[in-house]
Amino acid sequence: MNNNYVEKSSHAEFQRRHMGMKIKNRISNTIIYIILIVMTVIWLFPFFAILCESLRMESTGQVGYIFPHQWGFGNYIKLWTETDFPKWYGNTMLMALIVAVLQTVIVLAMSYTLSRLRFKGRKGLMNFMLVLGMFPGFLTMIVLYTVLKDMGLTGPNAVPGLILVYVASSGMGYYVSKGFFDTLPRSLDEAARVDGATRFQVFYKVILPLSKPIIIYTILVAFMAPWGDFIFAKYIARTSTAGWNVAVGLKSWIDSKTLHDTNYTMFCAGGVCVALPVTLLFMFLQKYYVEGVTGGAVKG
Amino acid sequence: MATVKLTNVKKVYDNKVVAVHDFNLDIADKEFIVFVGPSGCGKSTTLRMIAGLEEISDGIVEIDGEVVNDLQPKDRHIAMVFQNYALYPHLTVFENMAFSLRLKKYPQKEVYERVTKAAEILGITEYLTRKPRALSGGQRQRVAIGRAMVRDSKVFLMDEPLSNLDAKLRNQMRAEIILLRQRIDTTFIYVTHDQTEAMTLGDRIVIMKDGYIMQVGTPTEVFEMPDNLFVAEFIGAPKMNTFKTDLLYENGKYYVTPFGAKIEVDGYKGEKLAEMNVKPQEIILGVRPEHIVLAKAGGENAIKCTIEVNEMMGSEVHLHVKTESGERLIVRVPTINLSFEEREALIYGAKVYITFEGKVMHFFDKEKEHNLLIKREESTSQDEEDYSLE
Repeated sequence: MNNNYVEKSSHAEFQRRHMGMKIKNRISNTIIYIILIVMTVIWLFPFFAILCESLRMESTGQVGYIFPHQWGFGNYIKLWTETDFPKWYGNTMLMALIVAVLQTVIVLAMSYTLSRLRFKGRKGLMNFMLVLGMFPGFLTMIVLYTVLKDMGLTGPNAVPGLILVYVASSGMGYYVSKGFFDTLPRSLDEAARVDGATRFQVFYKVILPLSKPIIIYTILVAFMAPWGDFIFAKYIARTSTAGWNVAVGLKSWIDSKTLHDTNYTMFCAGGVCVALPVTLLFMFLQKYYVEGVTGGAVKG
Repeated sequence: MATVKLTNVKKVYDNKVVAVHDFNLDIADKEFIVFVGPSGCGKSTTLRMIAGLEEISDGIVEIDGEVVNDLQPKDRHIAMVFQNYALYPHLTVFENMAFSLRLKKYPQKEVYERVTKAAEILGITEYLTRKPRALSGGQRQRVAIGRAMVRDSKVFLMDEPLSNLDAKLRNQMRAEIILLRQRIDTTFIYVTHDQTEAMTLGDRIVIMKDGYIMQVGTPTEVFEMPDNLFVAEFIGAPKMNTFKTDLLYENGKYYVTPFGAKIEVDGYKGEKLAEMNVKPQEIILGVRPEHIVLAKAGGENAIKCTIEVNEMMGSEVHLHVKTESGERLIVRVPTINLSFEEREALIYGAKVYITFEGKVMHFFDKEKEHNLLIKREESTSQDEEDYSLE
């Protein structure tokens, strides 16, 4: 009996403590969630505001409230049918896609080479690129403009010129992917080479399938740079609207107070259209951001 | 199936570190050769030079009579098993094994036949659809071996394939490699740091140290007639006891005087010493732990010792003993002839008497550490130079 009594008592004590911990946990969780919700609202608010503005039909300028009095897709229709926006959108998409492909190929090849091959001057080259990369690209803007102008790749022909600019230095962005390749065991390369693969086959058949996360990362980075660029695009294309990208084009709509008043809602609609492909790209590609793809390759 | 010949092969790394000095070796067709030695002795480097994964700094490597120095690994017709398995994690076991065949564009039917046959031999048929990460260490190593098996390779290279497995699995896989060897009957070059693996697997063993070959020979040769002190101590477990003692020559007989005893070198070893005309001198004497026996107190040539450590292995007991002069020795005593009381008495601090016979002794030069019973060329041989470099 005595034993039972002791057990019951300790059980009650345990329950009391357990409840105490439960309440503590609940309180701390509630606080954490409140903080997170507030941060989310602050972060999402501008996006939400722009979306609302783009659907506002009663006026074209900036107003002091958020929810439109009159909802509609008029701004979007006007954007795609009556302005140069489709042209700019096409320019940007073309540049971003080409750059994404070329830059990914160059970066991956460069990183793999620097990770796996040992050649004279390898370290020197890497250090040189590291130092060079510390200077902002804009330092070269004036020279680049002159060179591109001589080649006839400015103004209305800015699209190929800009592709050249974006792709030219892509090899220098090898760090992240080289770091990734360095983590893949070299014995995999060696096993494949003994199995009869050429260097390219090793890269293509063994290393690339294991490098999905880094390939996705490289594609996204390569796509984003030209997609959101303003400074280079503006400087190379100058006043020729045919060579503009979306950023330069949209900016031109709100350059002055008058323009601002007439184009603001359409500007917001353009902003939404620009955000869309990037959002979709992230949503589709993020599932490939998986870790642990190399599980079981070598003894861990 | 092929011969492998290495002539004056040398490996010098960029930082001028010499990993392999003049390496000369003829490997016969279908021979199972084992490179063994401590870490950093150059055994893996040599194997990797044969595979083409490491550049050859100097010398010639021939496979099947063809110089392969400048050939890519894929053109050398070799198969290799790596220490860490190196399986392709994104491919199934089947595709891992089929990888080389697919690269060579074998017809689908043949790929299937070869892979399933190899999987059957290795007992991994049920895992063919799995990815490597869903396999245990032993299964992964089987897949790695299977991947090498499916091809018609001339030489089978294995770089410490069992090092990552636990002791029990290692013993099991070792036996399987012996069976495998009988089945696929090709030239094997096997690298290990484990002398037991070397002894049990190899037709011949190449013992290496600091980039030099210390001895090449069959397991019996290297065990019975080690070329030098290093080989004597490296081969055999527990390692051979070695200590300095005097070699005497009296009335036509040789004697050694370890720890106050005076033991006649009788039988074959005595004859051999006489034949080699070995002069009386201070030598390093080697006696394997299993060749030392317990003696009766006060018996002839009984050496008094104190037990420091007792390692009971079941069928035998390893006694770490200390002589009165402070020398430490290991004695391996089979327990079958000891009574239970006697076994229980072998404890720390207990006094025991040991002795050994002339026929089990190994005699090494005190300076050059070479075996005094092996005839060698006067100073010009590579081996002689090796010792002097140590």
